Amino acid sequence: MKIGLEAHVSLPTKSKLFCSCSTIASEPNSAVCPICMGFPGAKPMLNEEALKIAVSIANALNCKVNEMVSFVRKVYFYPDLPKSYQITQLYEPIGINGYVECCNGNIGIRRVQLEEDAAKIIRGDDYTLLDFNRAGIPLVEIVTDPDIKSEEELRTFLTELRSILYYLGIDIEGELKTDLNISLAESRVEVKNITGIRNLIDATRYEIQRQEKLIKSRVKVVQETRSYIEAKRETIATREKETEEEYGFIPEPDLTSYGTTHMARIKPIYASKIAEEYAKAYNVDKKLIAELILFDRHALELIDATKDRYEMKFILNGIELVKKYKKRDIKVGAFEKLVELIKEGSYIDEETVSKIEKGESIGAKNLNLETIRKEVNGLLTPSIIADYKKNPKAINFIIGRIAAKYKVSPKEVAEIVKKELSGQYGD
Amino acid sequence: MSSIEEFASMEKGREYYQKLVEELERLNERVHAFNNINHGISSGFPFSAKDNLCVKGVETTASSKVLSGYMPPYNATVIKRLFSKGFSFLGKTNMDEFGFGSFGINAPEIARNPFDERYVAGGSSSGAAVATSILKYHVAIAESTGGSIATPASFCGVVGFTPTYGTVSRYGLIDYSNSMDKIGVMARVAKDIKPIFDLIRGADGYDSTTTNSPITSINKKRLIVIDQLIGLVDQRIRSLFEKLLDKLNSMGYSIEHRSLDMIDASIASYYIIAMAEASTNLARYTGFKYGLKVENFEKGYNEFFTDARSAFGEEAKRRILLGTFVRSANVRDKYYFKALKVKDLLFNKLNEILKEGFIIMPVMPIPTPRIDDARKLTPLQVYKMDALTIPPNLCGFPHISFPYGYDNGLPVGAQVITSKFNDYSIINFVEEWEENFEYKFKYNIGEVR
Amino acid sequence: MYIDFERLLKVCRLSLRNDEKEKMEKEINEIIKYFDVLDSIEIKEAKEHQTSNVEVLRKDEVRPFDDIDGLLKNTKTYRFSVVGPKV
Repeated sequence: MKIGLEAHVSLPTKSKLFCSCSTIASEPNSAVCPICMGFPGAKPMLNEEALKIAVSIANALNCKVNEMVSFVRKVYFYPDLPKSYQITQLYEPIGINGYVECCNGNIGIRRVQLEEDAAKIIRGDDYTLLDFNRAGIPLVEIVTDPDIKSEEELRTFLTELRSILYYLGIDIEGELKTDLNISLAESRVEVKNITGIRNLIDATRYEIQRQEKLIKSRVKVVQETRSYIEAKRETIATREKETEEEYGFIPEPDLTSYGTTHMARIKPIYASKIAEEYAKAYNVDKKLIAELILFDRHALELIDATKDRYEMKFILNGIELVKKYKKRDIKVGAFEKLVELIKEGSYIDEETVSKIEKGESIGAKNLNLETIRKEVNGLLTPSIIADYKKNPKAINFIIGRIAAKYKVSPKEVAEIVKKELSGQYGD
Repeated sequence: MSSIEEFASMEKGREYYQKLVEELERLNERVHAFNNINHGISSGFPFSAKDNLCVKGVETTASSKVLSGYMPPYNATVIKRLFSKGFSFLGKTNMDEFGFGSFGINAPEIARNPFDERYVAGGSSSGAAVATSILKYHVAIAESTGGSIATPASFCGVVGFTPTYGTVSRYGLIDYSNSMDKIGVMARVAKDIKPIFDLIRGADGYDSTTTNSPITSINKKRLIVIDQLIGLVDQRIRSLFEKLLDKLNSMGYSIEHRSLDMIDASIASYYIIAMAEASTNLARYTGFKYGLKVENFEKGYNEFFTDARSAFGEEAKRRILLGTFVRSANVRDKYYFKALKVKDLLFNKLNEILKEGFIIMPVMPIPTPRIDDARKLTPLQVYKMDALTIPPNLCGFPHISFPYGYDNGLPVGAQVITSKFNDYSIINFVEEWEENFEYKFKYNIGEVR
Repeated sequence: MYIDFERLLKVCRLSLRNDEKEKMEKEINEIIKYFDVLDSIEIKEAKEHQTSNVEVLRKDEVRPFDDIDGLLKNTKTYRFSVVGPKV
């Protein structure tokens, strides 16, 4: 089985790839200009940040980054293409011949290129409505070799890719637009324009099943282009294109070549590798660490800041709590306190974590007496009280436990306990 | 004194401009220099803009039906710079559709040679040349891809300056061939050219191909004639040209000869590159975003687009077809990429020659044709007429065309070419020429008597 | 060189009347034949000429266009969307 992807990722720049329009807009056609709408006389101006991010992506995917990169015009006619050509790359793309480590080997990355997005199209019955806010948004196209060999490998690959991109500042969860190439037999089937990761996996599963069925029945799998219908979770054959297209690539004459060697690259972070490393080094579950850090830079920072001084299992516990109680902004110092508490076996609830994050002490003065009283009452069962009447020391264990749990002095707890006893039960 | 300076010292109230516009409208009805005259002009030195330059709020069509009604929401950079220094917009000048032509006849309104209206004005900046010829105080902002400033300037007896490629921003210029389009200036005297050039040139963030390279004025007092190119020229023009060389010789210039044996390859290379780029630039005209709009959206989009694009003129269609062909996958190496290599070869050869001095030659290989006769030429015959203007234009070398004689009452022009960024030198050269030669003009609209 | 003229017209989204077609096809074939003169030029170096060698990059800053109304006035709009042909 051979599965390959052509994935398109939107870059998180402030302005578009070739003009200074904002990449964020709400009302249709509110972030547009002559350049991104393809008006006569307008010319492209390359966004420095987009180039930098693209270079960083190619670098993170272990590509050979071309020293000089350049652009081409790819001509085809469609209402969402403002100039009737897309400025993209062909001869000197950002990067080539890279790989992603995963899936018992590597998934080859054939090409990483920078290009502009088209407008958004809304189909009407007898017309089309177009929103050019999206036209000109920077995209990086990532083309893999057909090295993915199963749905499982696809999932693993996508998780890995998503994590690498996350650490470069790019979130592809809902945004990813992919063309899927999949062949079980000799014929290659292409499923175009799949949006999002879930649909991509579903489309793959459907295609695998569809092709397997055909092969079993000795029916030839047709080499064709298909579309994924989200509502039905199926792929269908698309109508034959009415006219032929000739992209007629020429180098983009309004842009020069651009050097990349001097460009600062965003440092790549391979969280899954780190998870594996730490799992081995600290004897903890790899899956656990991976889950915590694959898409959480802050978690990784906290782990790295504390791993030399505390046991990893306590640290991970701390991270879980931070995530559970959504205290994502917790600073290292405060986090350390939390880890210490965990190490001591203290009772920790949301309030505790909250206080620690805010830097408030959890000493006796700030204790919620209600909480202690409730707990004391819970522990003062009739039999304990009976014991106490015979022997005052019978409640010492209660005092000890509560003192330790709430980090209060035994003396203070003893007073509370005595109050409860006298208040409730008379003495 | 330049006419800009002369104009500044004149008394001119609103009546001056009213009279100017009135007289201009009247003559324009015969010579069709302008497709749009600004009746609101009331102050400042007038300039006209070729109709492929975007002027905000003014219909800009590049002489094409597909752009009828297009109202640019922005000014081209050169227009912005002129406005910032107080120059006033007089109107839009006629041209060959999108710049496709050497005679001005590929246009809804054909501009006429002011010296004899049966004759062509030249192209593609036909209206600009006519306007410059008929107006006393005016400069024309024009554009050249393969010779579209030099040719009409030569036929209409005015000075036509095409700067080094990349010195003037093309932002707001409706594209023909992005790697060869150059915005330039036409005027009645060379003294008016330099201040306008200095005003409009210089790096512009909106055009990534512009540069701030310093402009020089090196003159080696040597004029070089390329024999194969002169060999193409009609006998009558050639003898006039020989007399010019004699005169320049007596002015202190040495005349030398060189050989360059790649004329047809240069013409082919130019047209392949120009048409390839043009075919992509014209792909955007699909009848619903600007200009001519097709009404029935319910036709499938391919039919819709084809409908809209039927409004292109014949030459435009021809260039789209040829341009698309030469960049198609199976022949791209043979035509498009080979043409780029030939361009490189020509550049190196000419650059070597230009180190020694200016190249000088006629602008057109034939005397000014009548409009009717120009129409009879086949497309290939027309393309070959650009043999003399293609070399500097293909390579991006600055060149200037200036009148040096009159043949049967019609002006004849020659051009000098120099190395990249040495633009001042050839403007100075024409200034020097003008000390020894007086241009003739048939009309002088705007002259204060 | 054989040129599939009908296909070329389709690719360019151009249409011609039958009489125009014949003339245009003939002219185009003649011109392409002229272009074949390039075959006779031998090029030793592989490098293609770059007309512009200065690299220019734009800072990633938002600067909204100042006349979006003027821009959209050129199109047909329906509730801020641009209307186009059916796909």
